Amino acid sequence: MELLQDILTGIANNIFNQVPILIGLIALAGLLLQRKPFETVVAGTVRAVVGVVILTLGVEIFVGGLVAFQAIVASAVGLEPPTATSTLNDFLAGAGSAVPLIIAVGFGIHLLLVRVFPAARYVYLTGHLMFWMSIVIAASLVEVFADVPRTTLIVVGAVLIACYWTLQPLWVAPLMRRLMGHDQFGLGHTTSTVALLAGYGSRALRLGDARTHDSEKLTLPRQISFFKDINVSTAVIISVIMIAAIAFASPAVVEEQMAGSELLPWAWGLTQALRFAAGIAILLFGVRMFLAEIVPAFKGISDKVLPGTKPALDIPVVFPKAPTAVMIGFLSSTVVFLVCMGVFAATGWFVLVPPMIMLFFGGGCGGVFGNAVAGWRGAVFGGVVNGILLAFGQWISWGLYDRTAPELATLADPDWFAVGWLVLGAGNVLAPLGAAAPWIIAGATLVVTVAVLVVLSRRGEPVTSSPAPAPAGADAPADAPAPADAPARSEAPSSRPPSRPGKE
Amino acid sequence: MTDRPDPLKVLAVCGLGMGTSLILRMTIETVLQRLGIRAEVDHTDVSAARSTQADVLVGQGMHTSELDGVAPVCVTVDDFVDDAALEARLRPALEEAGWL
Repeated sequence: MELLQDILTGIANNIFNQVPILIGLIALAGLLLQRKPFETVVAGTVRAVVGVVILTLGVEIFVGGLVAFQAIVASAVGLEPPTATSTLNDFLAGAGSAVPLIIAVGFGIHLLLVRVFPAARYVYLTGHLMFWMSIVIAASLVEVFADVPRTTLIVVGAVLIACYWTLQPLWVAPLMRRLMGHDQFGLGHTTSTVALLAGYGSRALRLGDARTHDSEKLTLPRQISFFKDINVSTAVIISVIMIAAIAFASPAVVEEQMAGSELLPWAWGLTQALRFAAGIAILLFGVRMFLAEIVPAFKGISDKVLPGTKPALDIPVVFPKAPTAVMIGFLSSTVVFLVCMGVFAATGWFVLVPPMIMLFFGGGCGGVFGNAVAGWRGAVFGGVVNGILLAFGQWISWGLYDRTAPELATLADPDWFAVGWLVLGAGNVLAPLGAAAPWIIAGATLVVTVAVLVVLSRRGEPVTSSPAPAPAGADAPADAPAPADAPARSEAPSSRPPSRPGKE
Repeated sequence: MTDRPDPLKVLAVCGLGMGTSLILRMTIETVLQRLGIRAEVDHTDVSAARSTQADVLVGQGMHTSELDGVAPVCVTVDDFVDDAALEARLRPALEEAGWL
């Protein structure tokens, strides 16, 4: 008996608590399911494992750079740097090691929901966000239910993430259809709240007309095109802020952060800012490496068990519709964020860190959806919304995750905040119920999701000939080839208030 | 028959090199299989792509415009899952290079 227990504990500690090994096993299963040849299976599994190891190294470098950045900027404006008792790295090595299992189980539940309910027709395939959103949910659960048992964490986390993956493409679907002019794929991205606010907000505010004010009639100066490369824009913006901050920071703080470095402060600051950017690049490289092995398996499985469903894809799928709007959204988002950074510092609130990736993709998303409804003013508005959400989201969330992974606040899309806060809020309300609380959250979320899907299925079933309402849009479906199933898909999109991510 | 490199090295590019380019990679694989071309398809972000050598580069115009000289054949796409549209662009590009 004791031997058996030892073996089980050994397996738990050495396999199920190790993110690289777990991801390796999931990749192995995926490659075997796809019946890949032996050499591909071996190479793919090893690549997935090495990818995770690279990811953790990237996080380490990124976190180090972040600490120095916050300490120096804080000193420059006379603030205390934000503190935390844990880091993303600690979290991933501890309770966060459940994340790969949350993804695997959650994807199964997601496929089941899509299989059972005809209204849920999108299979979520944006791999890196499957990973990050699962971390957000796991961290939120651990933050409220400090010693939640691992099995509970996995099952509850999987249910929550599955509901999010199922509903999120649906609540942007009406806007997506209007933007793309077809319904071949959905949007599976954690900037969906920005898309909703940009789209419906610019309509409510009557910002302009999609056709006469179309952003694509403008030309932006070629000199700013370097911003499109996230590695470049992160390095440039963080370097500029860092060097400016060093000029104003107290020499003692700078010296402490330099930890005996022989460099001049400004040169050291530059190297730190570049390391920060490099840390993010490494982190992304690691994520890319393991996703390359896992996502095709997920797609293979969904194509096999759910033929005819549509993929929900990453945000750049909408960028070709309005590349200028992407840049407008990104720039306005960045300007607003930097202004917030100044305001927050001046009032002594908080030290913000510009998250260039999220400013680009979220700003681009706001730009494209805003432009589709109200032209370039809508694009500016979408970017502004993203900048404000990221600034306030970061300020609020840092403290909420200080016992798990506060870095999630500095590297987050708006949906991460929305979903995380809902889980944290529900958790805090239900915490007195003890061990049952996480299960109640999962159960309630599932019930709400199923109810939404049932209502949508009822509404969507009758084949009406009225096409999706598409008021004058830059890319109104008029000239686009109507997909064969378009008329059958009219779930009265615009008349229904967009379901907010309030269900998670 | 042709002097096409075998396997053909194809690179899918997007801004982060994670979501979109990976989906694009799967679409490219479908098309090349249909054309009967043996290929190694990889995907990456626009930064890393600059230091890569490939025979064919596929990505959004927004990114391919930054990547002159990475590959002799460059194909621009607007839709990442539409394999028919990709084939319609890839085929003439390969023919022009004398690879089809």
